[in-house]
Amino acid sequence: MKPRHKSVETKYLEEREEFFRSLRRLDRRSFIKLSTAALGAVAVQGLVPPNSFQPVTLATGPTTQGAGNAFRIAYISDSHLYEKDVNDRFVRALMRAVDDVNALDPQPDFVFYGGDLAQLGQPKELELGAGILKNLKAPLKIMVGEHDWYFDMGEKWRALFGEPTYSWDHKGIHFVTLLSVVETDFWTARGMTPMERMKTVAGLDNSVQSPFSVGEAQREWLRNDLAKYPDDTPVVVFSHSPLYKLYRPWNFWTDDAEEVQALLKRFQNVVVLHGHTHQMLTNRIGNIHFHGFLATAWPWPYAPQGLPELTIEMARPDPFNPQDGCGDGDALVHPDGLVDKVYNFWNRNPVTVARNYTASWGKEGIPPQPNRPSY
Amino acid sequence: MSTHKPATAFIGVLVLAAVTLRSDGQEASRVPMAEHGAASMDYQLAELEKLLPQVDVTAAPAGLDPVVWEAFIPEGNEMTAERVELGKKLYFDKRLSKDSTVSCATCHDVTRAFTDQRRVSEGIAGQLGRRNAPTTMNVALLQTLFLDGRAPTLDHQARLPIVNPIEMGFPDGRAAVQAIAGDSEYQRLFQAAYGRDVNYDDVGRAIGAFERTLVFLDSPFLRFLSGEADAVSTDAQEGWRLFNEKARCVTCHPMNLSNPLGTDNRFHNIGVSARHQDFEALARAGLKALQEDPSERRLEELALGTDMSELGRFMVTKNRSASGAFRTSLLLNIGITPPYMHDGTLETLWDVMDHYNKGGEPNPFLDGGMEPLALIDEEIDQIVAFLFTLTDDRFSEENQRQMSEQEAKAAKSRPFRDDDLAFRQTIAFEERIKQ
Amino acid sequence: MSSNKRKAVIVLAGAVLVGLVFVTIDRTPAGEVQAVTRQETEKEEGQALADSLMAQWKLKNPDRMDDWVAEEKERHTIQPPADNTDVLKGGQGEGHSYGQYTERDLLLWARETEKLVVEGSRIFHDAAALQGTVGVSCDMCHPHAANTHPETYPKFQVQMGRVALLRDMINWCIEQPVRGERLAPDDSRLRALEAYIYAQRKGTELSYGKH
Repeated sequence: MKPRHKSVETKYLEEREEFFRSLRRLDRRSFIKLSTAALGAVAVQGLVPPNSFQPVTLATGPTTQGAGNAFRIAYISDSHLYEKDVNDRFVRALMRAVDDVNALDPQPDFVFYGGDLAQLGQPKELELGAGILKNLKAPLKIMVGEHDWYFDMGEKWRALFGEPTYSWDHKGIHFVTLLSVVETDFWTARGMTPMERMKTVAGLDNSVQSPFSVGEAQREWLRNDLAKYPDDTPVVVFSHSPLYKLYRPWNFWTDDAEEVQALLKRFQNVVVLHGHTHQMLTNRIGNIHFHGFLATAWPWPYAPQGLPELTIEMARPDPFNPQDGCGDGDALVHPDGLVDKVYNFWNRNPVTVARNYTASWGKEGIPPQPNRPSY
Repeated sequence: MSTHKPATAFIGVLVLAAVTLRSDGQEASRVPMAEHGAASMDYQLAELEKLLPQVDVTAAPAGLDPVVWEAFIPEGNEMTAERVELGKKLYFDKRLSKDSTVSCATCHDVTRAFTDQRRVSEGIAGQLGRRNAPTTMNVALLQTLFLDGRAPTLDHQARLPIVNPIEMGFPDGRAAVQAIAGDSEYQRLFQAAYGRDVNYDDVGRAIGAFERTLVFLDSPFLRFLSGEADAVSTDAQEGWRLFNEKARCVTCHPMNLSNPLGTDNRFHNIGVSARHQDFEALARAGLKALQEDPSERRLEELALGTDMSELGRFMVTKNRSASGAFRTSLLLNIGITPPYMHDGTLETLWDVMDHYNKGGEPNPFLDGGMEPLALIDEEIDQIVAFLFTLTDDRFSEENQRQMSEQEAKAAKSRPFRDDDLAFRQTIAFEERIKQ
Repeated sequence: MSSNKRKAVIVLAGAVLVGLVFVTIDRTPAGEVQAVTRQETEKEEGQALADSLMAQWKLKNPDRMDDWVAEEKERHTIQPPADNTDVLKGGQGEGHSYGQYTERDLLLWARETEKLVVEGSRIFHDAAALQGTVGVSCDMCHPHAANTHPETYPKFQVQMGRVALLRDMINWCIEQPVRGERLAPDDSRLRALEAYIYAQRKGTELSYGKH
């Protein structure tokens, strides 16, 4: 009987293991010389095999052992579409995200779209986005971003997607979608045209616009909506603006955040999933755990002030790859409402911010650090 | 019987001529052949003597930054004349293969641009591999070896084909050493080079040392960069400008005085593997396998039963971001090392440009830096003209021949061309996602 | 010359002058020089001439406020230039031909400096001014010029495969993410963009070579 022949790959892996073992026997000077010259990133990180090569299981988060009715939802956000012949890149990125989500196996319970589907709120842009999102196999829930709204104040949006504020229950979790990009009127006094208004809001660093808010009417709606649920109901809130105050000059901000948080205070676990910031963001305020969505269109840099302590920054993106720092993702929603949030970066390994990270106030489950921090 | 002899002899001569006449048109009588399509080892050695003058191997070769050069030489394998001599002998030694028909020089043939100019390489018993053989010219500054980067140094890489069942076929290093340890010449050379008996680690080191001397940088382009304004045609100069600007080549193929190779030493999925029908299914199967069972056995089972070689770097690092990614090829002497890409499926540099012009092949793991370039025919021709100026002067005849041959092939057909994608009329993924 | 002839010459000269005014300052949409009669050169008609010139300017510049600098600064916060009041102190300033400054000098310098920076801000935020073809402007990835890191140049810019200065990277970004045309090294727009980027990173320590 022929002895089992080792595959080429196994033998190479064994060779490499032996190589790394022999590396550690070198003195420091030789090691540095070798590693900087001949090895590349893996050896320099000083990681020890087999963990040198990050298995995908770590990246996709812990298994659902004992998780009961945990279910998965996917998200796509911030596509900022222009019409195809103006900007093909953004369209291609959204299609790639839809392709990613459709390839998930098993399919998520639903897909959430985090807002800013259009770039300048044009009907054609919204229609383009709606058409692309129709390809999703799983049911779609969608949210308004400021880029969708301020051209026609939501007229096209309502026609395509219905009311921007709504709630529903799913497997014991209460989901709420807010329109949290309400701005006080800055355009009438200036005599702005709809396009001027839209372009003002579209500029992240444009200081003519007002800060985002949820507004009294919606807060009232929210109070009534939550009234029927006992304190131990897990609540997940979808919001475009972060529902806390991060950095005012870029409208990474919700002006009435405290009032909204007060409405949510009595619940045991509340998770806020938000768009707008185009980056990995994590925060916790009391009982509320905040997670940001990745954009498909482009990444934002981190604000110079106001970053929550719990946030581990994503590595600074490479401008050569317009999809670096972008992507889509999913969240494993546990029965207690807390989530394992997966950031599925394009051309990077996925990063999971597990529920025990925010649950432990950042002591456990710490995600990997960036090697290229923001400037 | 006597009447048959002349006829038989005549037929025999014809057959012999046919068998030895190489497809590249070289006259059979000029190039004695070895097995698997390679030129004979002695002939190659003679050619090598002509190509490389005797120099002091302890000094950096002309054209390479001496500080960088030194940093790439592993500790314990500093360059000496004895080590290079030993490495040279080993490189051309067919005894390092199980059936004594294959040496390094079989697939990295001196007379064929130090590669074999075939789509995939042929090993013992005529077995075909899955990967295109990279050239061994100018490999001294590569940070990883093999197209999936699984060998961290040249010394390491040199040992692996010898024990690959479809390449040189020894079951392990010890068997390879046994094949040559009895040779007194080797015993003398190993002692002179490393002060040790014949052993497998030093086989790799010596071959690595020899390969570090294979430096071929004297190209018209280098002369142009050094200030000789008419060293290359205006078309090629325009091609170099496009290379740096509109065509977006330089980011993955940087060429500067510290690193003239034209590779970033990183791994990118540019979509070549996506043209294999089962790539995406394999990629997902691989990811799923890791999700369920991170042990290497599962991956090995998949590797044995399927064509997971197409997953490239992923098989080495198991990083999702490396699915279908292969190391950026170096560009020096690219004109004479067809066919191109990790599987040798692109026959001409025009095919290569067509592939990039349309933004590669869309797949779920495509490097986002691959964009449709909207290059017009004139611009493509200029970039190709530039690429042909990267060949060392010593191979200018071969370079000319390749240029004409590739041009003729490209004139007949451009199978990878897609103007709709290149000029952004249709968008990648549009087939899969309707608007 | 007879008085009639002199009058005719004066009228003719006046007509030529008025015609020149029309031709050189601004053309009416029809682009024709109006024929002038003696009545039209009188004072009331002179006022009408001035009014029509103003109306033409307003047609061409409908949105311009009096101070475009203030308008841009209202839209986009810009770091002010350095405070130079120190040059007003110290006894050696007195009696130094080239070193004697007034507060108004400081104002003029600041105003002029600000204008280049503010012009840069305008271009930075405008895809059309950058001649981009995909509707992307610099501020979309660099709000308030965040992440532009001018303090790290010169450095090996990986995307370019060679060592770069800030203006090389500005041009690279215009060509690649913005998909516009590279600016010539002496282009005023390039200078304005560079000015804006340096201004916004005021106070950052120089650190050349930082990746």
